[in-house]
Amino acid sequence: MSRISRRRLLRNAAGAALGWVAASVARRAGAVERFVRESPWIRAKPYWGYAIDLTKCIGCARCVDACKTENDVMRRPFYFRTWIERYVIRRNGGVEVESPNGGLDAFGRPAEPKTILKTFFVPKMCNHCENSPCIQVCPVGASYKTVDGTVQVDRRYCIGCRYCIQACPYGSRYFNPVTRTADKCTLCYHRITKGLRPACVEVCPTGTRIFGDLSDPGSPVSRFIRENAVQVLRPEMGTRPKLVYKGLDREVR
Amino acid sequence: MTHARHLLRVAALFVLVIAAFLAARHFLVPPSFGKLGHYRAAAVDDLKRLPVRYAGQAGEASCARCHAAQAKLKAGDGHRGILCETCHGALAAHAAAPKTGKAGKPPEDAMRGFCGRCHGRSEARPKGFPQQDLGEHNPGLACTQCHDPHRPKQ
Amino acid sequence: MDELFRQLTAALGQVQGFIYPNEVELQWSILIVVYPYVTGLVAGAFILASLERVFNVKAVRPTYRLSLLTALAFLLVAALPLQLHLGHPERSFEIFFTPNPGSAMAMFGFVYAWYLMAVLLLEIWLEYRPQIVRWAASEPWWPKRLAYRLMTLGVDDVSPEALALDDRVGRAITVIGLPSAVLLHGYVGFIFGSVKANAWWSTPLMPVIFLFSAMASGIAAVLLLYMLLSRLRGEKPDMACLDTIGKYFLTAVILAFSLEMLETIQKIYEAKEHMDILALLVQGRLFYSMVLIQVCLGSLAPIVLLGVVQMIDLPGRARRAIYAVCGILSLVGIFAMRWNVVIGGQFYSKSLLGFTAYKVGLAGREGLLSAVGVLILPFILLAGLLYLLLPWGARKPRE
Repeated sequence: MSRISRRRLLRNAAGAALGWVAASVARRAGAVERFVRESPWIRAKPYWGYAIDLTKCIGCARCVDACKTENDVMRRPFYFRTWIERYVIRRNGGVEVESPNGGLDAFGRPAEPKTILKTFFVPKMCNHCENSPCIQVCPVGASYKTVDGTVQVDRRYCIGCRYCIQACPYGSRYFNPVTRTADKCTLCYHRITKGLRPACVEVCPTGTRIFGDLSDPGSPVSRFIRENAVQVLRPEMGTRPKLVYKGLDREVR
Repeated sequence: MTHARHLLRVAALFVLVIAAFLAARHFLVPPSFGKLGHYRAAAVDDLKRLPVRYAGQAGEASCARCHAAQAKLKAGDGHRGILCETCHGALAAHAAAPKTGKAGKPPEDAMRGFCGRCHGRSEARPKGFPQQDLGEHNPGLACTQCHDPHRPKQ
Repeated sequence: MDELFRQLTAALGQVQGFIYPNEVELQWSILIVVYPYVTGLVAGAFILASLERVFNVKAVRPTYRLSLLTALAFLLVAALPLQLHLGHPERSFEIFFTPNPGSAMAMFGFVYAWYLMAVLLLEIWLEYRPQIVRWAASEPWWPKRLAYRLMTLGVDDVSPEALALDDRVGRAITVIGLPSAVLLHGYVGFIFGSVKANAWWSTPLMPVIFLFSAMASGIAAVLLLYMLLSRLRGEKPDMACLDTIGKYFLTAVILAFSLEMLETIQKIYEAKEHMDILALLVQGRLFYSMVLIQVCLGSLAPIVLLGVVQMIDLPGRARRAIYAVCGILSLVGIFAMRWNVVIGGQFYSKSLLGFTAYKVGLAGREGLLSAVGVLILPFILLAGLLYLLLPWGARKPRE
């Protein structure tokens, strides 16, 4: 190699290195924007969301009952697409949780009321996660997310391996012994696509359950999220649940 | 390379198996699979076809058409924010075919248990919510003896 | 349905603390304990075989063919516990046709098929081919002869060039086979290790832990089979072979145990939210199966005994006895390890506030009899394979 072309080579290499450094700096300057994830409901209409106002729940479990009626969820044996938990936090720090038959059996009054610090009801259901682990682990594609944001199970395709039930951090899924597939809350998809609300939302007497279209800023759920500080269950898991709570106590699991 | 004949036969077997696999795949994968994502797109239609049991908020007007008296009472009192179906059960079938579809009324003898599901006193309920200690509030009487469920505050 | 309701109500009575209502029923039963156990034996036996082929550990040559046949016998049964467990086994082909690329379980179909066809069957076939050709000509009983003729694929070329080619191809297959065997069992570990919802399972170490305990169990199985079959044939097992296998056995057990302990110590040290319930799990429902069987009997005892063999000069009979005892302890201990992972991870609620119970039924698709049947079947298949493809007999040692 002659001396002249070697010099040119070195110059080119230096230029490339400088260019690379400049590009890296430019990329870092824009790096913060990369972490912002665009909400799917910016583009997709409708995109269903759900909220639960824990300051209002009275634990009557009409929602549990309505869900079972609307969706033919068996009452014997017991599986739940939604259920109510009652937390009793004692003054000495003890936490007691119960869910008698999902809340369908009456809770009764908590024992030893004088030692109670606080007690409240927490309705639970499928969170219809944006980054849903149950969809990720399904080996065949029977667990999926619809274009409008709900997480569903294709019971004609599910092979019943139950991996999704293991992967759900919230206990929302169960194995349906009749269809022999995984099963869970469908967000009453057959209702919401007809302009109705999920059965649980319809029958709730206190306005605890709120439903609507996240892409519509005037919908009940959008207004609720805007006007209240809301929390989700197990945020550290990164599942990005679409079910939000207001008034979620630190003891709630 | 005649000494590799047996290996070539193995290779041929492999090709055969893969071809059979691809053929089976072509016939056995449901046609709508993959159209919207990694799932059977027709499953969404399966979901949409499920039967509706609760008429919901949209059905309140249709209750009022035949049961105008109760609807009027309810609209003016404490239970106005609650659907008829919350206490009376799923009524979409009844609204569609009032003579033949069955309707429900909470049973008289279970009244205290039924009303108590919401209104029995419990420390876990929000403070402002109307509650009664059912052990002390007229024990043994059915709630409906004093309270009209459509006009409960009177 | 009434039977199910009865079982669930009974289980509900044994719940401690609070569980989510849907958690009362264990989703993955004893069959899902058997499955990783069986694929572990496959991987372990194959790795023992590849010690000779790839790493030229000549001493274990006497067990080479036995290892391969053992791996095949267990591999043929491996899919059975899964099929028995599925809600819709008739739809299981969907894993082959529409695998979800994000799911570790979707890998099963392809890894299994690849390993069975491209690795194990090919390697066994190439190893046995000269004899198969000979048997195809000389076997008196016609069904057996037909089987051999099919296996020759109609080619009876056993010239030195063909055999040299076989040897090269066989070697290449074993080299590919090693990562394939690792994948076959490692992905099972990943199925558990990647479930972030379950703190007992979730760890990057899970595939490695599974793999090393699989190696220990596979080596133990071949060791015991070799000693047993030698006795049945009235021959003495090759002590150099046994001693070498014993060394690798000890290594595998030490590595598996170290990784498990590392995992445990890290979890205790980090003291995350789930530590309390997991500590209760180990002290309670898993005490006998984990502390006693998996750790003490299944890991520590073999380490001590095999360590003694390494350090003290013991006579052949004593060494053989120790190998046999350690083999059995290890096989039992590693089954317990699979139980502790699979069932243990489902005992405690994801609410971290309680435990459910598991009662293995006797009958039924996922009952004890079923599991025992699945575990016995490979030995029946192995007997058949040994009958058809005798591992021992006059043959030229490989150059």
